[in-house]
Amino acid sequence: MFTFSGQHFFMRVRMTILFLLTIVCHAVIAQTRFFTKSAKVSFYSTTPLAAIEAHNVKAVSVFDHTSGQIEFSVLMKGFEFEKARMQADFNENFVESDKYPKAIFRGNIKNVHDLALNKDGVYRAQVTGVLTIHGVSKTQNAESLFTIKSGVISAASELIITVADYNIKTPALVADKIGKTVKILVNISAYQPLSQNN
Amino acid sequence: MKLSGRYFWFAIIFAGLVLLVYAFYEYNRKHSDLYSVDTVASTGAVALVTLYETDEQTANKLYLGKPVDVTGVVAEINTQQDTIVNLLLGNRNNVHNVSCLLDVKHTGRVKEVKIGDEVTVRGICTGYLIDVELNRCVIIPKNR
Repeated sequence: MFTFSGQHFFMRVRMTILFLLTIVCHAVIAQTRFFTKSAKVSFYSTTPLAAIEAHNVKAVSVFDHTSGQIEFSVLMKGFEFEKARMQADFNENFVESDKYPKAIFRGNIKNVHDLALNKDGVYRAQVTGVLTIHGVSKTQNAESLFTIKSGVISAASELIITVADYNIKTPALVADKIGKTVKILVNISAYQPLSQNN
Repeated sequence: MKLSGRYFWFAIIFAGLVLLVYAFYEYNRKHSDLYSVDTVASTGAVALVTLYETDEQTANKLYLGKPVDVTGVVAEINTQQDTIVNLLLGNRNNVHNVSCLLDVKHTGRVKEVKIGDEVTVRGICTGYLIDVELNRCVIIPKNR
């Protein structure tokens, strides 16, 4: 009777542990949505007369590993230039930040299932999506690098856009200081799992 | 007549030089330190977030691109690469808070602040994503 009760007890303990492990593993494996509030977005425009760069370290990004969807939102007024006049011109004359305060990218990673979240490595991802700046939406393609190290996902991407595509007019007086294309760099040091609390 | 013509050209050249110096100064002008600027408003972190949640357009008209003092409880202090220091004012359990990116010249004062303290932060409101965002922030001492 004692032997039977002991075996029964240990069986129940084993079953409970197995059950708890299943829940924990499910929670870890099922985590497929990630976000960050501190993505860095920089842009660069270089001409023989001037080099312009600005940085925004507070872009928001959400990434869904199941569907491959990836999104970025960035506040135009959050771009910091070294020179105050350049920043004012950017916001008032070029991108009209009061009227269009955000830039948004909504896209999809074509080869998302090549990204093995449980295996350390550097993965190339093909991203296609729509970038909206200054109220104008244009389809853009970019190659991104995702790095997975000890479960932490980081990402970097580069994109070159044509200023005229976004109906951004440059005054004749400064037109030769601003390139016709702008290079945009995106850097995410660590995506965090997206939970109910986020 | 000859003399007045000479004065005329002198005035033109002088005005041109003044214009050039002003253009040079304006082109190279750095951002002003917010510690010593006048703000458009003083508000609480919770009130600011509530306004942005309910009416983002009105909130932007009031605060976007302007210096504002925001008082709230420090919920998080994040430091990246020693130069990027961000204070979150509000409550960590809330989805939306006020996120204050400190001016690199004023990051030292963060040592005097700990989670749970009520502080006033002056910054330029850059808008609303998940949080209401303030840039170039300065922590304003209570006894100022």
